[in-house]
Amino acid sequence: MMKAPKVAFFDFTCCEGCQLQVANLGELLLELLDSIDLVEFRETMSERWDGVYDVAIVEGSITTPHDVARIRKIRERSKTLIAYGSCATIGGVNGMKNAFDLEEIKRYVYGESAKFFETLPTKPVHEVVPVEYFVHGCPVYQPEFLEVLKCALLGIPYHVPDVAVCVECKFNENVCFYERGITCLGPITRAGCNSWCINNGNICYGCRGMVSNPNEKGFLEVLRQYGISLEFLLRRMDMYNACRILKGAGMVYEEKRAH
Amino acid sequence: MEYAVLPKSALGSFVDALRQYGKVIAPVAKSERHFAFEEVTDARDIALKYIPTILPPKKYFMPQYETLAEYDIREGQKLYPVVEVEHIVLFGVHTCDLAGIQCLDVVFSDRPKDLNYLVRRGYVTIIGLECNEYCDQYASCGLMGTFLPQGGYDLFFTDLGDYFFVHVGTQRGEDIVANFSLFQRAESRHFWDLQLLRAKKAEIFRPEVPVDRFLLPRMFQEGFEAKVWEDVGNRCLSCANCTNVCPTCYCFDVKDVMNLDLRTGKRIRVWDSCQNEPFAKIASGESFRAERSDRKRHRFNRKFSYPVKRYNRFFCTGCGRCSRVCMAKIDLKETIAQLARETGYLKV
Repeated sequence: MMKAPKVAFFDFTCCEGCQLQVANLGELLLELLDSIDLVEFRETMSERWDGVYDVAIVEGSITTPHDVARIRKIRERSKTLIAYGSCATIGGVNGMKNAFDLEEIKRYVYGESAKFFETLPTKPVHEVVPVEYFVHGCPVYQPEFLEVLKCALLGIPYHVPDVAVCVECKFNENVCFYERGITCLGPITRAGCNSWCINNGNICYGCRGMVSNPNEKGFLEVLRQYGISLEFLLRRMDMYNACRILKGAGMVYEEKRAH
Repeated sequence: MEYAVLPKSALGSFVDALRQYGKVIAPVAKSERHFAFEEVTDARDIALKYIPTILPPKKYFMPQYETLAEYDIREGQKLYPVVEVEHIVLFGVHTCDLAGIQCLDVVFSDRPKDLNYLVRRGYVTIIGLECNEYCDQYASCGLMGTFLPQGGYDLFFTDLGDYFFVHVGTQRGEDIVANFSLFQRAESRHFWDLQLLRAKKAEIFRPEVPVDRFLLPRMFQEGFEAKVWEDVGNRCLSCANCTNVCPTCYCFDVKDVMNLDLRTGKRIRVWDSCQNEPFAKIASGESFRAERSDRKRHRFNRKFSYPVKRYNRFFCTGCGRCSRVCMAKIDLKETIAQLARETGYLKV
């Protein structure tokens, strides 16, 4: 067999919870370690590596000039780069910052020490350097991560499902939250997580980002029928999707805000 | 014995006895209004009065994820076919779902025959259960003529108060009856009870939309450019709920899943849906049905028009699941009615 590929994990603005998903793989982790040579992963080891990474797995979003410089360096040293977790793939919760004036929010967070911190609008990794693979989710769904990693190691594409979470939710025969009078972001959020949250009694928070072409106008009509306010929904969406430029519904929202 | 009766008090021990034929699967309540086919070990868990389950029984004939073959890339293109089977007994299948299974049988027996389906099919024993009244307002079994049993079962149960009237449909059904001592011979009073129920049902179950069922294929053909498709297309969220819960939707995607050793793996098929955005997308990025209206129209034609031409069979069983599950409240009966109005097929 060919030499085991060098794999490294890195984190930017995030909670490192997605990497914890790897550390928690259990026996699968041992199997995985037979196929790769793990050279950097600060959650589980203290060693460093100064060569070329075959696969760099990057968690977190890019939020400071230092982040920009560092991700560029990692990119230069990596043959393949995987954006890993919502913060890295869509900006995630860090995107909330973008709704505020940067100076203002910096003072809010750091108080008098704000002057020591440089900050930039939150960006997902692919808006700063090229990214080959995406593992969405907050946290990532372990089976999907393994699928993506296998594709990366084999050099074949991984297609993030561009269908609603409802698809997998129906596969799992869950009772729809809308039928129970509860708002869920499943209908506009892209699948791939096997409706993990709903299977466990929680709603979908939209952590994987939206499907590429959601029917926003149609969804507005659904919200109207169920008596859910647009503002409520957009706030809920903003939790993970604030980095996203809204189309139809966003315009309606902006108009409403303007009045 | 082509007809038999089973006292209701014997249901518990009958379900126990069924386990010798395989895992017993029956409708169980997931909430007051939601049911699912699941394994049961105690007949008391079976919901004898239930509205159509969230997923139809098709999940037992073509599972959501199904392994078709295994491979080892060191052996090149060689594939080892796999059929994962187990003996199961489906108890309590309504006539709409029996019709759905019959549709799947037709499709998967068509050339090229689908061996995975056909092999698995032989492992399933089916016991039907009659609906004495409408499940809810979404059903259209009156229009589709599926509220009475029309085969597709080994045994068929009709609840007639303190006993079940049982029709034996196959040799396997006959064996089950012969091997369980609590079945009794059906006598004329039992037939009389059944006839009374059927007469009552004929009064209740009427076409829910005033159209001629046999003209539906023509109506859909003539209504290809009807405005109704744009209307439902504007409302559709493309969540694919309608196709996933449909007892006759059988479209699937095939994927290779590599094992962590990166040498061995399996080829699986996964349910797919014409309502999903990428379904009809091709290599150039172009989609044959890019608009939701195109996709909605396609789904309806795949129920009321295309299969009638090809198989002489409607692929709508009137179960009402697609309407029940649609967040945008796209209702099958309303859609047909609207199309009928536009095309002039609505009876007045």
